[in-house]
Amino acid sequence: MHGTWPLRDTLVMVLAGGQGERLYPLTKDRAKPAVPFAGDFRLIDFTLSNCLNSGLRRIYVLTQYKSESLDQHLRTSWDVFSPEIGEWITTRPPQKRMSDDWYLGTADAIYQNVYTLQTERPRHVLVLSGDHLYRMDYSLLLEEHTRTAAHVTVACMERPLAEAAGNLGVLVVGENDAVVRLEEKPSRPAPSPGRADTCLCSMGVYAFQTEALVRSVIEDAKRSGGHDFARDVLPAMVRSGAQVHAYRFPGRYWRDVGTIDAYWEAHMDLVRVQPVLNLYGRDWPFRGETQHGGPAKIVFAGGSPGTPKAEVFNSLICHGAIVSGAYVCDSVIGPGARIEVGSRIEQSIIMDRTAIGRDVRIRRAIIDKDNTIPDGARIGYDIDWDRRHFTVSEGGVVVMPKRVPFPRADAGAHE
Amino acid sequence: MARILLVEDEENVRLLYKQELEEQGYEVLCAGDGRTAVKMAREMCPDVVIMDINLPERMDGIESMSRILSHSKDTPVILNTGYSEYQDSFMSWAADAYVLKSADLEPLLEAIRDALEKRSQARE
Repeated sequence: MHGTWPLRDTLVMVLAGGQGERLYPLTKDRAKPAVPFAGDFRLIDFTLSNCLNSGLRRIYVLTQYKSESLDQHLRTSWDVFSPEIGEWITTRPPQKRMSDDWYLGTADAIYQNVYTLQTERPRHVLVLSGDHLYRMDYSLLLEEHTRTAAHVTVACMERPLAEAAGNLGVLVVGENDAVVRLEEKPSRPAPSPGRADTCLCSMGVYAFQTEALVRSVIEDAKRSGGHDFARDVLPAMVRSGAQVHAYRFPGRYWRDVGTIDAYWEAHMDLVRVQPVLNLYGRDWPFRGETQHGGPAKIVFAGGSPGTPKAEVFNSLICHGAIVSGAYVCDSVIGPGARIEVGSRIEQSIIMDRTAIGRDVRIRRAIIDKDNTIPDGARIGYDIDWDRRHFTVSEGGVVVMPKRVPFPRADAGAHE
Repeated sequence: MARILLVEDEENVRLLYKQELEEQGYEVLCAGDGRTAVKMAREMCPDVVIMDINLPERMDGIESMSRILSHSKDTPVILNTGYSEYQDSFMSWAADAYVLKSADLEPLLEAIRDALEKRSQARE
């Protein structure tokens, strides 16, 4: 019936103001969507790649806290559209036109950009989060959204009750997947129709009819309390009788890497032989950071006793990285990182340009960018020592923030 | 006695409205531009704001209204303008009513009565 028209009439608003407090210290100097992922990417690249692959090319990224590295990334890696033919990716920090406040929540971020919607006058607005990992063809969602003529369509997927409890937004649906209730992080989620152990969880992906969106965020702005889509706006729309539709996402991978442990586990998925998230599909390429620095290099073949030997298994090695006679397993080695002879890196994420000396041992750790790890150092071997000097997650993953001096006094002395 | 903040840059119109509204038994405060209106709304807590849209001093009535609402969320604002075109503006939807200026003040008085009634109901 319509070819590509829902795409042409759709404006994308990517919410990128998240502080990502539970990802600290990876978010010490950057907003959550700018957190690096899988060596070559930042979290926002997945949402933006989904837009690009879905044919959506009018994108506003609503930024807020610590947006410098996000701005820079969008300038250097996402300068791919042509504004002169009506395509763009543009960042929008709070304009403070309607108040002196920063964005007070996801809905307030849209409310404060009502002037932009006024100028563009799209038929639909796709509201996305800039910090979720998934692969989704938004054109299928928009097609269903226009076909059902819903005021808002919420993308969702079945998740185990135990995973959803206290953690995810849950949709209760009636006939034809009309949403009759929304529960934000309920302690006892209701199973979806015909299921015993799963429920329909929101993915934080919303397709709105523009006028319905504008009226809802204005109403929300005039109410006291919170100003979030999941918690405030969508439940109010359901209560007022608006048509809220649930779109069942046909894929199986979606993650909010909201914590250090979830972030680490998402990387451990990638290094598996057959990961759930495929970074290599030619039909749906994920676009990442455009850096150069030469191909990755792995040297020293061993052979005779006493000569070093590089061994690299189940790992992602980015361009410009050099592994010299070291052992690397179940790890992600970022662009330009160096690992010297005799070192052993296991189940770890080593970010850009970090230099690891000789005979270093690192396991279950995340080493942020631009660090220097001295010869003989140990990380992930003595949890008490790690706790004194770094951040250690609930699951025991050690995180060393970006560009900090390595603790000197007792480094390596605890073995 | 309900307190009305009347925002209107043309003095003749302002005086005419003020007189009429006072005759109806309202207390009337006046502002001639948006910035003054935002400040007065914050300090004087009016029960209703009547807001012209075309205003001087680099802040129009719609921006003034959104600034007032950011501070006092439940203050009803009635947009009162000579132009119907502003009804297409998304932000004008934040107003409780949109009344076109005319010699007959009855539509404006009715909008004020409605807004006050709605406000008292909401507060009960």
